[in-house]
Amino acid sequence: MTNLTETSMNMTFKEKSAWGSLVALALISYWFFPAAFNAASHASDPGRLVWLSIGCIVALIIMEGIYQSVIAAADGGGSDERDALINLKAERIAGYVLGIALFSLVGRIIAVEAFEVAETMTALTIAVSILFTLTVSEVAKLISQIAYYRFSA
Amino acid sequence: MAKTHVRNNIRVLRFQHGEMTQQALAEKVGVTRQTIVAIEKEKYSPSLEAAFKIAAVFGEPLDAVFSYEPGSR
Repeated sequence: MTNLTETSMNMTFKEKSAWGSLVALALISYWFFPAAFNAASHASDPGRLVWLSIGCIVALIIMEGIYQSVIAAADGGGSDERDALINLKAERIAGYVLGIALFSLVGRIIAVEAFEVAETMTALTIAVSILFTLTVSEVAKLISQIAYYRFSA
Repeated sequence: MAKTHVRNNIRVLRFQHGEMTQQALAEKVGVTRQTIVAIEKEKYSPSLEAAFKIAAVFGEPLDAVFSYEPGSR
C-alpha cells in the first residue's frame, strides 16, 4: 500500500491521466467490440450499432472527465517539456501501429474480394474494424507513454 | 532503464543551497518535480533552456552543473 502511494506521488498529472484513459478505454472496448462486431455481422439492426457506439463514446467521455477532474484537483494538473517529449514519442509509436493495422485491414478486404478466402466484409463490419484499429493505436500510445514515464525519458 | 550521456551535480548543489527540495527547484525552473527527479537520475536530458534555468537557480555556469560523457550507447 505504501509502495502504491509512493508510486502515485511520483507520477505526473499526465502519467496518471494516461493510466486513467487506458483503464477506461480497455473497459469500454472489452464490452463494446464483441457487441459491435456481432451487431455489424448480423446487420439486422444497424440503428442498434449506432446507439451502441454513441453510448460508449459518451460513457468514455464521462469516465475520463470525472477521473481527470479528480486528479487535477489533487495535484493541480499541468505539464512540461518532458511530458511533451514523451507524448511525441508515444504518438510516433501509435502512428506505426495505426499504419500497420490499417494496411492489414485493407489487405484483408482485398484478399476477401479478390480470392474469396473468407466471408465478404459488410460496410458495417469494415466501419467497426476501422474503429478497432483506431482504438488499438490509442492503446499503443497510452502504453508507450506509461512505459516512457516508468523506464526512460 | 537507460541513462543519458548528460551527467549532473544537481543533487549536490541542492544540498549546498540550503537543502533545497526537488519541488522548490521544480517551481523555480518551471517544470514538474518528476522531471527534476528524472534529470537527477540521469534518465532524462533537459532542454537547453531548462538546463540554463537550473544553472541560474544555483548561480553557477552551465558546465558546473551539467557535463557530457560520451558512451558506447
